[in-house]
Amino acid sequence: MKPKGYWCLVLHAHLPFVRHPEYNDFLEEDWFFEGVVETYIPLLSMYEKLIDEGIDFRVTMSITPPLANMMCDELLQKRCLRYINKLVDLTEKEIWRTRYLPEFHETAKMYEKKLKEARRVFEKHNCNLINGFRNIQDAGKLEIVTCCATHGFLPLKIHEKATRAQIRIARKDYEEKFGRSPRGIWLAECAYTPGIDQILKEENISYFFLEAHGILYGTPRPKYGVFAPVYCPSGVAAFGRDMETAHQVWSADIGYPGDPNYREFYRDVGYDLDYDYVKPYLHEDGVRRNTGIKYYRITGKVGLNAKQPYNPAWALNKSAEQAGNFMFNREQQVKHLNEYMGKEPLVTSMYDAELYGHWWYEGPDFLNYLFRKTHFDQNVYKPITPSEYLEMFPKNQVLTPAASSWGDKGYYEVWLNSTNDWIYKHLHKAAERMIDVAERYKNTSDQLKIRTLNQLARELLLAQSSDWAFIMTTGTMVEYAQKRTKDHIVRFNTLYDQLNNNTINEGFLGEIEWKDNIFPNIDFKAYTF
Amino acid sequence: MTKTVSSGTVTSHMQANKNIFPNLSNDLPKNYGDTKVVLLPRDPFWAYSYWEINESVKSNLIKEYGQNILYVLRVYDVTDINFNGSNAHKFFDITVTELNENWYLNVPEVNRDWCVDLGIKLADGRFILIARSNTISMPHHGVSTVTDEQWAILQKEFERLVKLSGIERIGKSSFDVSRLMRERWEQLISMSSAQMPFSPKSISSFRPTAADSPETKLKSFWLQADTELIVYGTTESDASLTVEGKSVKLNPDGSFSLRFYLPDCEIKIPIEAKSADGTMSKTIHFEVKRESSKNNKI
Repeated sequence: MKPKGYWCLVLHAHLPFVRHPEYNDFLEEDWFFEGVVETYIPLLSMYEKLIDEGIDFRVTMSITPPLANMMCDELLQKRCLRYINKLVDLTEKEIWRTRYLPEFHETAKMYEKKLKEARRVFEKHNCNLINGFRNIQDAGKLEIVTCCATHGFLPLKIHEKATRAQIRIARKDYEEKFGRSPRGIWLAECAYTPGIDQILKEENISYFFLEAHGILYGTPRPKYGVFAPVYCPSGVAAFGRDMETAHQVWSADIGYPGDPNYREFYRDVGYDLDYDYVKPYLHEDGVRRNTGIKYYRITGKVGLNAKQPYNPAWALNKSAEQAGNFMFNREQQVKHLNEYMGKEPLVTSMYDAELYGHWWYEGPDFLNYLFRKTHFDQNVYKPITPSEYLEMFPKNQVLTPAASSWGDKGYYEVWLNSTNDWIYKHLHKAAERMIDVAERYKNTSDQLKIRTLNQLARELLLAQSSDWAFIMTTGTMVEYAQKRTKDHIVRFNTLYDQLNNNTINEGFLGEIEWKDNIFPNIDFKAYTF
Repeated sequence: MTKTVSSGTVTSHMQANKNIFPNLSNDLPKNYGDTKVVLLPRDPFWAYSYWEINESVKSNLIKEYGQNILYVLRVYDVTDINFNGSNAHKFFDITVTELNENWYLNVPEVNRDWCVDLGIKLADGRFILIARSNTISMPHHGVSTVTDEQWAILQKEFERLVKLSGIERIGKSSFDVSRLMRERWEQLISMSSAQMPFSPKSISSFRPTAADSPETKLKSFWLQADTELIVYGTTESDASLTVEGKSVKLNPDGSFSLRFYLPDCEIKIPIEAKSADGTMSKTIHFEVKRESSKNNKI
């Protein structure tokens, strides 16, 4: 039976490039390890099981170049395995500790099982999760899109060549990692301004995603709102975000993740247990922090010490119930839109991947039930990827989308305000210098100069990560974000002076090549196009 | 992307950069010796401008026009034109001081293109140009009035569709996880009587404590006690060890330690170590009993 509409789930998986070989143990590297254990492995493992069981599903994911480069990095792989092993150790101890505490024992066993499974999946893919995700893409269930090379915020750049380099370098990196060309891109923070689509066109990318008002405020008016993609004047397609599905998950009050049965993020054994007992599982500085082992549920609007014990079975039931609710709402939405539009609507649901698992612990269970129910229990809507949709429905309205982002208030303020506006002067100057030296030295065959130019490109790109400006706005870990911006700009300026004065210090160059090793095969000439 | 802290109390342990090249500068330059002005859009109503005036340019200006120079940003509406300095639809001036070097400007009209000149305004009203910015188009505000014949839609239908698309939720529901989580954290902190981190009372702090029960809240004097058991020991580092028949991982030095909550009970704890080659074994048995009683005197 022909479906009445289509549903496109898009998960944006991204973390800034954080890798510090100069330290044995580095706090911010945990972002990656936590992402691996709580989100990326659970998703991958779920996709693998669905395929094994013959359940058809579709999901679209960005795996951004910084994340892909971290997944492929041997040092981080080793450290991630160390992180997982430590957690397995802790959970084994927890099984003993809770043996006469029945209200916690089941949860302890759940952690042990999940972490051992995570380790098995991680080792199965030789500690490189790209291998796993590539398989799912090759099986036709997952469409992986690229992103700006270092999640650079494009509308706040003033040099077109620097914007283009963010796309070109990402594209090349994608080809290396996934063995094919990316069809689509997730523009960092969905930040778009007219003209960017032209660059995408020239870099052979056929579609991207927009926040709802990017389409709704487009010119001329979009006949189908966000329920059909549009073509930009360049011919590149844009998919707009459906706000109803966004709201169901994200809303602070009615959103799924806030259910009282779900795990409470803020009570962790890293704070709760005897110091000597948890110390081996903390960082070298010995400061109490989250370990990821948590025994309480949200319970309700109560203080931290009034939280009730977590019950894994209740939480699982709730995620199944919510998946059913989500499916029911999609059926209603699609039927309603179909009648109204006189054609099959496309509902595009876009989320941060890390919401599933890391922030919303039961998120992967929810998705698992949702894929299964969608496959078995209904035939109103069909999951689809953007490429499949465009093949099936090649005729779409042409319009110029409106400049927008998916950040707070819908524009650029999160990345441009009094906490972070100082960075642009330096970022723009570095981009201007990069374009200048790339042009001047594009025909050089001097290996030391080529290495210097490539490293200049890496430093500029790392400084351009939108994450730093974002963190400065959110107000936590600000020092780290400021330091990263400053370090990359200072390294850039130092190398730039050395190149210009013909005084390249090979020791210095080697040191920062070792530290900032993103894009091992980068070609600085990306800045000459 | 979500990159935030796992908890509100975390601070970075990053130390000063391990700089093995101490002779290299570790600071950002204040300026780059340029004379320029840049304009960036922030949202449909606000733009941001930053600028820099080269020191020698500045001293020439002072030489020519005196110390008390009035710097202005002249903001031009250049919508749909090729701006040549004099053909703008309109302009307005913002007085800035030399020290500002950046400014957020509120534009008087939406959906227009803007460009700024950084310059000096003389007493006689003359404007001396120092630098001209790039031109920006502000993010489009509101639904377009233009319709495409081929994709025409009735006004009423379009309004309904815009509503179905969730226009009023924009900027509300798309906010970032980190902010949501931080708000939750702040809410929790305000509701929690205990301060984080929890006092590391003991491994059994999971249990409702005596201090929480209504009985003891009435009285100011209270006592709280509980038990836990630590079973520990050491053997050959390559031996295999079981406790109560369950295999236990040894530390690299052959030591082990198990710690658990001990309720009222009577338990037997057999510990067995086997040598790596399987030829030798040692066993130790413990029997532990806990029995509690309470005596409340008022």
